[in-house]
Amino acid sequence: MQSDQSTEVHEPIKAVPVRHPGRWVAGLVLLVLLAMVTNTIVSKIPKQNGQPGTQWRYGWDLVRQLIFSAPYANAALLTMWLTLTAMLVGIGLGLVIALFRLSPNPLLSGTAWTYTWFFRGTPVIVQIFFWYNIASIYPTLGVGVPFGTVYWHLNPITLISGFVAAAILGLGLNEAAYMSEIFRAGMLSVDRGQIEAAQSLGMPHTLTQRLVVLPQAMRVIIPPTGNEVISMLKTSALAGLVGLPELFYQYQGTAANTFQNIPPLIAISLWYLLITTVLSIGQYFVERHYRRGVAGVSQRRFGGYVLSSVFKPRRRGGMWDVTSDSVLVPHR
Amino acid sequence: MSTPVAQSPSFVSEDASRPPMVLAQDVRKRFGRLQVLRGINLAVEAGTVTCIVGPSGSGKSTFLRCINHLERVDAGRLSVDGTLVGYRMRRGKLYELTDRQICKMRADIGMVFQRFNLFPHLTALENVTVAPLRVRRPPFSFRHPIRSHHARRAFKEEVRREAADLLERVGLADKSSSYPSQLSGGQQQRVAIARALAMKPKLMLFDEPTSALDPELVGEVLDVMRGLAADGMTMIVVTHEMGFAREVGDALVFMDDGEILESGAPRDVLAAPSNPRFQAFLSKVLT
Repeated sequence: MQSDQSTEVHEPIKAVPVRHPGRWVAGLVLLVLLAMVTNTIVSKIPKQNGQPGTQWRYGWDLVRQLIFSAPYANAALLTMWLTLTAMLVGIGLGLVIALFRLSPNPLLSGTAWTYTWFFRGTPVIVQIFFWYNIASIYPTLGVGVPFGTVYWHLNPITLISGFVAAAILGLGLNEAAYMSEIFRAGMLSVDRGQIEAAQSLGMPHTLTQRLVVLPQAMRVIIPPTGNEVISMLKTSALAGLVGLPELFYQYQGTAANTFQNIPPLIAISLWYLLITTVLSIGQYFVERHYRRGVAGVSQRRFGGYVLSSVFKPRRRGGMWDVTSDSVLVPHR
Repeated sequence: MSTPVAQSPSFVSEDASRPPMVLAQDVRKRFGRLQVLRGINLAVEAGTVTCIVGPSGSGKSTFLRCINHLERVDAGRLSVDGTLVGYRMRRGKLYELTDRQICKMRADIGMVFQRFNLFPHLTALENVTVAPLRVRRPPFSFRHPIRSHHARRAFKEEVRREAADLLERVGLADKSSSYPSQLSGGQQQRVAIARALAMKPKLMLFDEPTSALDPELVGEVLDVMRGLAADGMTMIVVTHEMGFAREVGDALVFMDDGEILESGAPRDVLAAPSNPRFQAFLSKVLT
């Protein structure tokens, strides 16, 4: 028999681990429920007499027919294009509004506040329909002397009343209100000392914002912006209501023609899921870019592990190297 | 009570043709109802090191921040190298400076902060080069595109070279591609000093440069500052390091409650402090 001392120091502890019967029961129940749902998804509807049926409960044959058909694929492209364009409008205008809001000029900050108040306070669908019908209150748009001569004008029926413009304006201007708040939060999160350091080096205001504040604010700005992009992808379905042939519009068409609702819904859902997945991967890389110079274990999140192992085959100890100073150093 | 300027002729401008680097005359500053500076009179000659000591809340950091206009002065006159800080005198009237003019003035004054304030998204070298590259770089000229392009490229190379030299001077030549988060506090503060020096300032302000450091890291920063003083840099140092003040300082200023209560050559005032509040302060600090 060993002495007490050596047991204390060298022997790893051998103890009976705590049992968790509750976990096993809950897991089993969940497994059974999951099996039942899966069974309905992958099975055909049985006939009245109990014979195996020929009709998929989820209409997989129709889903397969629809999903890569030309109208659906084009609709998916249009949805992506609409999302990106509306987001670009939202991000560009949102940044301007955020800078206005943080400006010491009360006229500018007041304007920005009012903008956010209005566009955040009315439903997107109302805004889209508003832009769709704008020509009824402003039949022409012109450039000239205020309250005076108009030198150049155009017919907004061609510009605004098009459903494309209405959708982009409605989605983009609404998004700008939300993005401006995200930008503002990001810029306020940057330490005041950073601005003072830049000022003490003689950097003017705009240069300080561009070189010091925004790059650091980006770390705070990117995650909610990723959320907004994905949210926009789904909100863009509203554009179908003013006749833009995107995914939801295609569903409506198919449902009206075939009286089948679930299969086209599944088809467009799969498209939405696919695009969301691609966007999430993109977000991971953008976040990694703006994480430059920030060390800390908190950076290693589950998604980070999964994605880095998928997209960056193991190089020396994964995404981060641990140096002798036990400081986390990003890979070069 | 006589003003500190009159008290200590050793660092008052004798030569009227050459103004002192920093001249404060009855400088006052209040934050809301709190009077932070109650009339500061001080002259700092070019090439000297002035250490400002005093209990926390005595207004020493505020005074330092007034010198490069991070805080605006409420009353009195403050000038650096003969030019008024933050204002311009024209036809007997004071005009506020524009943002651009203030930046131009600040570019000649280096500042080192207690919390380093390095830019965390830039490497040590980028931290040092970013300001000269963006602020000092000659503009592109459309009248002489080729010549100005070459001038700009040469300038960029020169800034890089000088930045590398500066990092070597503060002993961090091997850390130029490290991010601030990978450096110790002392190393970060040395990069911050190099960053300020990269603008080739005529005056350096240090706001408690060693107060946020672990004790064993204080020495390396003080060594860099000592070297800077030996090279003839004009420095104003807000500090609690009495040893540094005694050894390197040409003048020691004691501030309390927004006033300068005692000033003079460090050895003299530390050996025989006359003001009772300074005596009390020293007895707490020097134990």
